[in-house]
Amino acid sequence: MADLDKLMGIDGAVAAFKFSSKGELVESRTVEVDKFTDTVLDLVSHVCVANMAISTMQARGWESMTGMGGFYPVKGFTMVGFDWTVVANDEFGVVIPNDKIDYDAAYAALNA
Amino acid sequence: MIKQLMILDGVMAVAQFRDDGVLVEGMGMQDESQLAGLAMFAHDYKRIVQGNADQLSMFTQVPGWTPPTGWLVRGAQVTVCSVGNIVCLVDSNNARMNEVMRELQDASHW
Amino acid sequence: MSIIEELAMTPGVIAAGEYSYRGDRFSYEGNIDEEKARMASIMCRATTMAVHMQTDMLKSLNADRGCAPARGWVVKGEKFSVCVIANIFCFIDNTSSSLNEVMDYMRANVAGQEGEMI
Repeated sequence: MADLDKLMGIDGAVAAFKFSSKGELVESRTVEVDKFTDTVLDLVSHVCVANMAISTMQARGWESMTGMGGFYPVKGFTMVGFDWTVVANDEFGVVIPNDKIDYDAAYAALNA
Repeated sequence: MIKQLMILDGVMAVAQFRDDGVLVEGMGMQDESQLAGLAMFAHDYKRIVQGNADQLSMFTQVPGWTPPTGWLVRGAQVTVCSVGNIVCLVDSNNARMNEVMRELQDASHW
Repeated sequence: MSIIEELAMTPGVIAAGEYSYRGDRFSYEGNIDEEKARMASIMCRATTMAVHMQTDMLKSLNADRGCAPARGWVVKGEKFSVCVIANIFCFIDNTSSSLNEVMDYMRANVAGQEGEMI
């Protein structure tokens, strides 16, 4: 089970957050308090939930049409921004600068 | 032409936009930049709805989803709805949505 | 060798391809058939559009903090993942590929695109 402290322990992590199934921010940690405010992280949470939902729809559709399983259940979504990357699963997300990103470590921490 | 939409009950703002999202004409907001923002949002949202309708069509193999005519997001106080290249901000509690959508559909053919 | 060919030859990569932002063409290399590649292109394009809209909206709400313009996205499935940077997509097998390696290569070799291109 992921937790915020574990996520903040990922090399380069600047913010970690927990959100509800509707995308509302539940809890957060950040080392950039002026940048990643709770208002910002709440919006990012909604982005994560929206994309997890769309990806799940795609995984379901793809698997039923092609018979090629392996996408569902979706384990996570990553958005690679211009400077920052957000890696998230159903409940938690972590923000890491692009030059420090380690996708495997982020997913390992999220799925731990 | 967007004046006809503005006179409907509950319609607070209307914007018409080009295929690249740039505002052509708008009414109902003091600030032109807000109308431009509404136009760009509607343009972006239209493309997402198109993308999702394409996928729905592909996965369900049921014809009739695409191309999507429009979309509507209903909030507690305000509803945003769009057909073609016109978008409206509507008071959720004081508008007849059927009428607004019908007029939007007509206006989108102008 | 093109980026797509290069990606398709990377260990653990099932297929790689490119779609046009207009949605009117696609090309691919790898171990999937043309129909799957067409479907993958439609899906990847839709998600790319959504991610661009979302980061642009975060920016307009003054909340992007460096996210906009979006460069790409990853969906991690149970056995497979999909990686996208700009209009290049890549399907990988989670057990036999390195997500970091694939994404590092894509981020280094696929130019970011924004504005009227999208």
